[in-house]
Amino acid sequence: MNINIILVLLFNGVLLGLIYAVVSIGFSLVLGIGQVINFAHGLLFAFGAYIFWYISPIIGYWPAFIITPLIVGGMGYLIEKLVITRVYGQDPLFGLLVTLGISLAGTEIIRMIWGKLTKVVSTPGFAAGQVHFANIIYPKYRIALALISLIIILFVWWLMIRSNFGTIVKAGMTDSEMISALGHNLPVLRNRVFIIGSILAGMAGIVAAPLWGIKSEMGTDILMLAFTIALIGGLGSIKGTVIAALVIGIITSLGVLIIPRLVEAVPFILLIAVLFYKPKGLYGELTILGEVTAREK
Amino acid sequence: MNKVKVTFIVTLGLIIILGCFFITSSAAEPIKIGAVLPKSGNYAEHGEMELIGIYLAVEDFGGEVLGRPIELVEADDENNPDIGSRRARNLIEVEGVKFLMGGVSSSVGLAIGGVCEEKGALYLATNQNSDDFASVGYANKYMFHVAPGMDSLVRGAAEYVAENLGKKWYFITHDYSWGHSGTKWARNMLDQVGAEEIGEIKVPNGTRDFSSYLLTIANSGADVVALTVGGLDLQALYMQMNEFGLFDKMAVWCTLGNYEDSYPLNPEQRGMYIGVEAYWKESPGMIELSNRVKEGYPNAPLSVASANTYQGWLGMTALLKAIEKAGTTDVDAVIKAMEGMVICDNLRLEPTYIRPWDHQFLGVYPFVRDLQVEGVDIFEILFTYDSKDYARSLSENPLDLTAE
Repeated sequence: MNINIILVLLFNGVLLGLIYAVVSIGFSLVLGIGQVINFAHGLLFAFGAYIFWYISPIIGYWPAFIITPLIVGGMGYLIEKLVITRVYGQDPLFGLLVTLGISLAGTEIIRMIWGKLTKVVSTPGFAAGQVHFANIIYPKYRIALALISLIIILFVWWLMIRSNFGTIVKAGMTDSEMISALGHNLPVLRNRVFIIGSILAGMAGIVAAPLWGIKSEMGTDILMLAFTIALIGGLGSIKGTVIAALVIGIITSLGVLIIPRLVEAVPFILLIAVLFYKPKGLYGELTILGEVTAREK
Repeated sequence: MNKVKVTFIVTLGLIIILGCFFITSSAAEPIKIGAVLPKSGNYAEHGEMELIGIYLAVEDFGGEVLGRPIELVEADDENNPDIGSRRARNLIEVEGVKFLMGGVSSSVGLAIGGVCEEKGALYLATNQNSDDFASVGYANKYMFHVAPGMDSLVRGAAEYVAENLGKKWYFITHDYSWGHSGTKWARNMLDQVGAEEIGEIKVPNGTRDFSSYLLTIANSGADVVALTVGGLDLQALYMQMNEFGLFDKMAVWCTLGNYEDSYPLNPEQRGMYIGVEAYWKESPGMIELSNRVKEGYPNAPLSVASANTYQGWLGMTALLKAIEKAGTTDVDAVIKAMEGMVICDNLRLEPTYIRPWDHQFLGVYPFVRDLQVEGVDIFEILFTYDSKDYARSLSENPLDLTAE
């Protein structure tokens, strides 16, 4: 087997993993910190891709890259205020069903607005073409997207782990009374986490659009992958989500050489294996059911 | 005496009125035809374009056959064999449907074909291309294969591909019945056209990222990639082939493609060689069909008739002609009427023939290149071939489905 191919597939796996991480990290945050199984995350991901496709030819690539996540964040704000606030503290299944309903309705709205055919985003000029190295060809755009993904991940890690905001949010989820006594408003904190999750979903949509095409069902397609990665990594754990995404990216990329027919099943096999030995995921502190139990206590 | 006379006249009048009523109500009883096709999932827009073709064929018959109105009953197969066969069974058992048609996925179509055989209902597989539909072990007397099988699609193009595009072939196969058919026939042609197989990758239905596959293929030394991949997966594959610069390194032969797959791409993402079932500009009849789609269905995914639209139209036209010819809706009689039928007014330049022994529709099909142009005229027809010269012969496929 050509060592060059193995190395480039490994490299490709890391890049895929970074992109998967951006897709999953917002979902994991809302699930771990907001304690809501947010099936509308896929819808926000799809809206990110569609809005970017629609406005980027008008206002340009980078302005659209900034504005699109803000619009999706605004949509997240509305969804949280109007619907999600009513499911906090309830059975996770209730939140799942409500957000699934939002997702299905939103998918129909996308079809009504933008039609049913696939939309295609052109590669921007700065990343057009391929890199040629040791007889290997690799698209510049994927490398650029991986770098953008890395910046997004580092920013979210800083925000949730290193900043005061992240510390307060995490503390509030485990001891809300103490946080309220200190003068922080828990509903506002939850709302902000949901908005951050939505912005990340919008960014993930932008990242994924040129790679996999834009379809109204794209959110549903990606949701299971995001859910799987979040569970493997551990609910709300940024570190766990990134590691799980990288592992899945690398295994699926290299798996093509060994077991191409099973590659699509790999994430789910991995999920079963991890949950069997570590029900809280790689770096999680509670299972989904554990979250409910902890809250009820 | 007068009383008896009056009673007789009144009774006779009532009998005549009631008789007329029953005759009228019987004549007005609709003929239900089930359209089981994907309205969601990988082939949703293919299914929608196909349904338009089915409706247009009904319209061509004035909405009735044998003096009875045609009632179309739609069902979404969700691109899933279990769901498709369940919906088909429901149409037959609950709705009383005796004729079914439609679909895109071969796995779904074969499952529905099994249900129809069990229930004695007639099924026309309109857009599924696995040759299993007309093969020993799968074919049955209640099933007709409207779409060309992969045997004729691949064998009709293989010689051109070997002579003009290259002789080192790498296969990408959608990992289900139809994908296997395409690669099997291309592999069978290797010796005949002097080509060699460099490798094969089987991809599951629903694959969206092909980067690892493409990296492997780009370094394989192949000069042709022979794809039998469909739907949204094929669109993603097209986009990523362009992204990885594969078009500069090798030719891409799509053993069967659809307008729905190529049209949404940006012009620079095109450049494949594709076997298609029909093209909207190939004949005056097809242009007319396209105009009807554009005018009658402004919200359709496409503003022209695709091959899926045409195949839906052809399937329904053949069925209604057969019912008309049989003069009854008895399934066995309609099957017999359909066998050997030649459809000359088929919108194409050459007629369609329904071969009796394997229930395979035969016709002339184009091989195209998709062009890097804006607009709706995106295919250049390179050549056409008659599928009767390439579909399996009786000795290759010893079937006998002909009705007694």
